[in-house]
Amino acid sequence: MTDKPDEELIAEVLAGQTDSFSELAARHRQRVERLCRRFFSDEEMARDIAQESFIRAFTALATYRAEMPFGGWLRAIVVNLCYDELRRRRRRPEELVGDFSAPEVQWMQLVNGATPEQIVGEAEERRESYNLAHRLLDTLKPEDRMVMVLKESEELSVSEIAETLGWSEAKVKIRAFRARQALRKQAERILAAEGRTR
Amino acid sequence: MNCFESRQEFSALWRNRATAERRAEVMAHLKSCAKCDHAFRIFALTAPVLHSESEPPAAVRVSAPARREFSLADRPRRFAPIARETPSPRRWVAMSAAATVFVMASSVAFYSVRTPHQTLGEELSMPSANFEAAADPLAPEMPVTESDFAS
Repeated sequence: MTDKPDEELIAEVLAGQTDSFSELAARHRQRVERLCRRFFSDEEMARDIAQESFIRAFTALATYRAEMPFGGWLRAIVVNLCYDELRRRRRRPEELVGDFSAPEVQWMQLVNGATPEQIVGEAEERRESYNLAHRLLDTLKPEDRMVMVLKESEELSVSEIAETLGWSEAKVKIRAFRARQALRKQAERILAAEGRTR
Repeated sequence: MNCFESRQEFSALWRNRATAERRAEVMAHLKSCAKCDHAFRIFALTAPVLHSESEPPAAVRVSAPARREFSLADRPRRFAPIARETPSPRRWVAMSAAATVFVMASSVAFYSVRTPHQTLGEELSMPSANFEAAADPLAPEMPVTESDFAS
C-alpha cells in the first residue's frame, strides 16, 4: 500500500487508473465494515452492504468534491445504504421478546452482578454480549437507530449527523432523545427482569 | 470526579482509550455511586455494538478437522432439483408393487359391479330385468292406458 493521500488516488481513478480504487477501498474497508456491523448483526449482510457501498462510491466518484474528506463522503454512502436496508426490512419498533438464549441470560446476570471491570473484560470475549446489544438496538425505529449509531459510535456532532442524513438539527436532537429513552427503558426492563429471577 | 464526568468517560473506558489513572477514578466513583453504577450497567448492554472498536467475537464455528469440502448435497432444500439423487432400485420395486395392487383392486371393484356382455347377440339374447318382471306371475300388473288408471 502506498502513502498517497486519498485525493491523489481519486484523481488517478478519475484519470482512468481504476486499479487505484482497490487501494482506496482497502484503506477504508475495515472502517466501513465496522460501521455496517453496528447496524446489522448478520456478518454476511454487513459485508454485502460494505461491498455495495464501494461499488456506489466507484460509480459516483466523479461527483466527489475535495472540500470534504473522502472518508466522510464514503460514510454518507454507507449510512444511507444501511438506512435504506433498515427501512426495507420494515422493522417496526418491537418489544424485546423474552426468549433469551442461555448464554444471553448468563451475560445479563454478569452485567447485573459483576464489577464494571469484569463487565468490560468479559464483553470482548462473549458473542452473546454482541447479540444481545443488537437485539436491544433492533427495538428502535430505523431513524432512531441511525442517530444512535452516528452519535455514539461514530461520535459525530448533531450538525454532522444532520448533514449526513439530510435532516434538520432539531430532528436529529429529537431522534437522539427518543432513542436514548427507548433504549434505557428496554435495558431497565432486562436488568429488572434478570434481578427478579435471582 | 462527579457523576457527569464519570458518565462522560464510559465510552473511553469501553474503548480502552482512558488512561490508567482516569480509569481508576471512574471505577472508584462507580463503587461509591449507586446511580452511576446502574447507568454503567445499562450502558454495558448496548456498548458491545455501539462502543466497541474491535471485531465482534466470533460465533460458534465448525472446527477445522470437522470441515469438509463443499458438495451439492450441502445445498439448501430450495436447490434440491439440482442435488436430486438417483432413486434406488429398492424404491422402484416398492412403487411397482403398490401400482400393481392398485390396478388389481380397481379391476376387481369394476367387474364386480357390472359384467359387460361380450357381443351384441349375447346382449340381445339375455333377458332384461323388465322382461323378467313381466314374466313373474306374482308381479303387480302395470297400468298401460288412461282407463286402467281410472279403474
